[in-house]
Amino acid sequence: MSFEDIRLAIQAWASAGYLPEALAYGFVVNALLAGLLIGPVLGGLGTLVVVKRFAFFSEAVGHAALTGVAIGILLGEPYTGPYGSLFGYCLLFGILLNYLRNRTGLAPDTLIGVFLSVSLAVGASLLLVLAGKINIHILENVLFGSVLTVNAQDLAVLALVSLLVLGLALPLYNRIMLASFNPQLASVRGVAVKPLDYLFVMLVSLVTVAAVKVIGAILVGALLVIPAAAARLLSQSLKGFFWLSVLIATCSTLAGIFLPIALELPVPSGAAIIMVAGLAFATAAIARGTLPSLKGNLG
Amino acid sequence: MTALETAPPRLQGPGIEFSGIDLNLGRTRILDKVSFQVRAGSVHALVGPNGGGKSSLIKTLLGQMPHQGELRLHWPASPGTIGYVPQALEFDRGLPMTVDDFMAAMCQRRPAFLGLSRRHAPAIEQALARVGMLDKRKRRMGALSGGERQRVLLAQGLVPEAQLLVLDEPMSALDEPGVQVFEQLLRDWRQAGTTVLWIEHDLQAVGRLADRVTGLNRRVLFDDTPQQVLTPERLLELFSSHPRQQEASS
Repeated sequence: MSFEDIRLAIQAWASAGYLPEALAYGFVVNALLAGLLIGPVLGGLGTLVVVKRFAFFSEAVGHAALTGVAIGILLGEPYTGPYGSLFGYCLLFGILLNYLRNRTGLAPDTLIGVFLSVSLAVGASLLLVLAGKINIHILENVLFGSVLTVNAQDLAVLALVSLLVLGLALPLYNRIMLASFNPQLASVRGVAVKPLDYLFVMLVSLVTVAAVKVIGAILVGALLVIPAAAARLLSQSLKGFFWLSVLIATCSTLAGIFLPIALELPVPSGAAIIMVAGLAFATAAIARGTLPSLKGNLG
Repeated sequence: MTALETAPPRLQGPGIEFSGIDLNLGRTRILDKVSFQVRAGSVHALVGPNGGGKSSLIKTLLGQMPHQGELRLHWPASPGTIGYVPQALEFDRGLPMTVDDFMAAMCQRRPAFLGLSRRHAPAIEQALARVGMLDKRKRRMGALSGGERQRVLLAQGLVPEAQLLVLDEPMSALDEPGVQVFEQLLRDWRQAGTTVLWIEHDLQAVGRLADRVTGLNRRVLFDDTPQQVLTPERLLELFSSHPRQQEASS
């Protein structure tokens, strides 16, 4: 069964009155399918991002996507999905950053600061060149996400990336975590610490780029961090941490896509998704401060 | 005395031979022609001042530091398992990770958030029981005291059972009951013929528990039984900033 079959079935049920009316529109179903694919992956991978303190990195890769889009359009890729340049540039960004971190011994936040600034400078310059050639409003979709433009190709890319990330990150979950706790211990236990670091950087880059269409370059990094941060506040074990993060990311993504359409609010999908996730985080923070079972735990 | 106590230990662990190990980091000489041997199945302590090269020597042994000279492990049969107990872990103290989660992350492939695997659960339970942490297995790692966390680190060193154990200051945070647990583990390892290379600052404990002790301050300053070398003169020389060039007593 293809995405097209699923979409048509959902649309038919919505038209028959079994599902909310908004689902009668193909683009809404596509966007929700995209959310269902990427939400759990972002939530799950986000737990490792928080454990490894990679939050700033995921933000930087998201911002690098802006430059990737600009390069893609300049190179003649379709502006609705310049995936070649997006993946290429963001992977290069992540790999080079990790390489220099290993070689220079500079603190990660310092290097990320340098890379982020330079990448944005290049992106801004290219966008100025592009301003005369394309409708610059298209870039708003890239910056903040748009549910209107998610098509079958985007869903296929999302499905492929999600499968790849889950297929690699789940079997290596313990090892990725262990490498951040104590690289020497990890190495004795047979973990290839440096290759695994590169792999993790690549996975974060891939999932970030795949989610740009729905969430937008500016905000995509936040969905790797906010659900995991909220789950960390409420959980007492890794089980709760992981599954709660997946749940919050998935619900935020679906609600952020669906609510603006259902309520006819002029809010971009990415912004709505992050606002819902932010609400979940605020609720978690309040719960931690007030619920006796959570209060007093080291946060 | 039981038959078990009189039986000679099974020599499972390897002998270790450090021969002329040199290590430079940039322009700094970290290790200078370090040569000594660790007897198979013995508890061998490594003492010396901070910055004296103990941790670097351990990294060299674990294959994580490029060096000159020869380092040989003489396994009795095929190479066995090497266990390592670090001094500390770098982790967010607020991370919702229980003792069980940590042990699962260390010992099994199945993602720790799915719980202990059936295959590893008995060994993990036994290891936690041996270090007296079984009743705290559901507590978060960040909520444990330093001594309790150290016991958990010792527990992970027990799964899988290692034939060579490298311990990096395992007693630094232990309280009195923890010290007793550690002493029992050392007795068990000695009886099992496990080779133990043990970095330690507590010289009283070394004198009481080690079979042999090497004093390292960039170079080997002594290498003999604790009774022979843990004398005030030797220790004064070991912990002075500029130790005199001296051959190892071995």
